[in-house]
Amino acid sequence: MADFLSQYSIQRWLEMCPQGYLEDTVYGHAEGGSEPPELLDNEVLLESSIATTVQLIAGERCALAASSGLVNLAPDFASKRFLATQTLDEARHVEIFTQRLFDLGVAKEDLESTVDRYANPNLVRFAEILLEKVSDGDFIAGVVGQNIVLEGMAFTVFELLEATSRDLNPKFAQTLSGTIADERRHVGFGENRIGSLISEHPEKRGEIERMQQEMSYYMLATFADVFSDSGESVEEGRRVANDLAAERGGDPGDAAWHGADLGSASVEEIEGVLADTVLGEFRSRLGRIGIEYQSPSVPA
Amino acid sequence: MTGTSQVHQTLETDREVADDDRRTFVLDETGFKEVPKRWRRFYRHWQGEGDSLGPNEVICPVCKVVIRSTREFRPGDRVYCMPCMSRMVVVRRDDGTLEAEVTY
Repeated sequence: MADFLSQYSIQRWLEMCPQGYLEDTVYGHAEGGSEPPELLDNEVLLESSIATTVQLIAGERCALAASSGLVNLAPDFASKRFLATQTLDEARHVEIFTQRLFDLGVAKEDLESTVDRYANPNLVRFAEILLEKVSDGDFIAGVVGQNIVLEGMAFTVFELLEATSRDLNPKFAQTLSGTIADERRHVGFGENRIGSLISEHPEKRGEIERMQQEMSYYMLATFADVFSDSGESVEEGRRVANDLAAERGGDPGDAAWHGADLGSASVEEIEGVLADTVLGEFRSRLGRIGIEYQSPSVPA
Repeated sequence: MTGTSQVHQTLETDREVADDDRRTFVLDETGFKEVPKRWRRFYRHWQGEGDSLGPNEVICPVCKVVIRSTREFRPGDRVYCMPCMSRMVVVRRDDGTLEAEVTY
């Protein structure tokens, strides 16, 4: 155990993150990178991008509140050190996604009203369930909720967004790549630290399983809301991609993600693949640390 | 897509490697920047559909990066994933392929 915990050092984080994949970046992307004019000049795509970015900010604000709260709950200093680095990671995510809202034309004085307008209420409830565990002082449930459920969802959602942005919006894709790299450490900590703690506290399993089931329900409800409103923007994005490809004398490519052709799959298919992928990951990750995955009820 | 090139066994001088008949590989950097520079050649990003694993590669089940070794993997090998700081052991699945199982 001592060797395992000794990996969580500030020096290692510095070498991997600021001196590694974030070196020479500005707000998570290459200096001079910008949102594509095809997005900024298109009302449908612009509003869709603002709405998507607000969900990312809402999720990251929750992660920042949870990880900072968990620092003082951690039972050992190695975990406190790791959670301190995670707190800075999450604060950076809040900052870079907020900066993206500004890059999309949202005025600074309109930030909070924009977040209030677009933040999905089911995502807010998802966050509240986690933050209740943290404010109750429950370290194990807090880390499972934060580093396995929330981060596991973010990891997969960011991968999907990165795959859809790679060709048309390399600035946003690079921003997402850096957050995905951060999430690797976070899910790793969640599994590795809780994998040992849960065996010492088997009485926690039932409560954690109920929390996972409830958070999963609100996650699926968020997906349902977001995808039910996204048909027009998905079609518009494909039209723009086709036009751009024609201008360049090529084709828009065949971005595939977990078996779905992102260039032709219906919105319902993409939502289904995303939900199945995230829930499958929950099942695998929880199973590895001795917690039984609980299927959530399906939102109406 | 493995980014590796095989090296003739006789070039290998490491005693541990010489103890068995494993193939050895020279690892090239693939642009993976999520670990300190001296370790970067031991990892690469999984490219999704169309990608495949070499005999010296396994996927980390926790963070999904490809972990690479200078030697062919065998069941029982211990593996460390630096990007997510997980420790694993290589096992053989029923279909004959190798995968990494996390140890806590």
